[in-house]
Amino acid sequence: MDGFFAGIEQLALVRGLKASFVAYPIVNALHIMSIGALLTSVWLMDLRILGAFRSLPQPAFVALLRRTALGAFGGALVTGSLLFSVRASEYAAMPIFLAKMTLILLAGANFLVFMRRAKGGDEPAGGVAIVLAALSLVLWTSVLFAGRFIGFLG
Amino acid sequence: MQSPFNRSVALAAAVILAAATAAYAHHGWSWTQDGFFELKGRITAIYIGNPHATLDVDAEGAVWRVEMAPPSRTIAAGFTEGVAKVGDEVTAIGHRSRDESEKRMKAVRIIVGGKTYDVYPDRVPPA
Repeated sequence: MDGFFAGIEQLALVRGLKASFVAYPIVNALHIMSIGALLTSVWLMDLRILGAFRSLPQPAFVALLRRTALGAFGGALVTGSLLFSVRASEYAAMPIFLAKMTLILLAGANFLVFMRRAKGGDEPAGGVAIVLAALSLVLWTSVLFAGRFIGFLG
Repeated sequence: MQSPFNRSVALAAAVILAAATAAYAHHGWSWTQDGFFELKGRITAIYIGNPHATLDVDAEGAVWRVEMAPPSRTIAAGFTEGVAKVGDEVTAIGHRSRDESEKRMKAVRIIVGGKTYDVYPDRVPPA
């Protein structure tokens, strides 16, 4: 595994990013943009499921925000992988980074459970949907905080 | 409907509080002591790149992490790949972590190979 992470650090693209005065801050900014869009769409979507903004039709509202969240997650994944790559072995050994990855997996599993229940055509409703939406809010918000703390915890 | 919503808000607030009260920040200078600290040792690893440059320094058997500036600033100070190598004797002057159990400091000045590199020229100790 150490060799794998060391190999990532040696890729030409990654070496360029590591030394760049411009590309790295741009990738960093795009990561923040993706996270902002992801957290906003997750919060609005989950709050709607929890009973807020009742004047807006739930299926259309949730479908739009889910598409937005998935697109934003894709952007965060690409930019985040690039930020990770410059010091891959270092980050992979950090407990706070591993905690963030675990939280993303849990949030993803929570999403899949919700979508499985939605398979029949109807969005989940009632108690189950409320628990899953509340979990989603807590997990994604925790992902954001864990991510920020990567820069502050050694 | 009201109570699960309140519960999720309370949970989110708890997460925010837990994160905000968590340990020591390595961005900026809030995590370092005010007084200057000097570390002498032998370089065991050099990283010059984003998000900021670091040195690992073996001082009497203990390996310290010496944080420097972002690469633009570190390189502007003259500290580039090639001015130092693993095994070189180095002196790092700066501020150590407030948590003294942590072998970590942030350098404002690096002295290696008889040359002085002020990576934070506005923060170096008065001459």
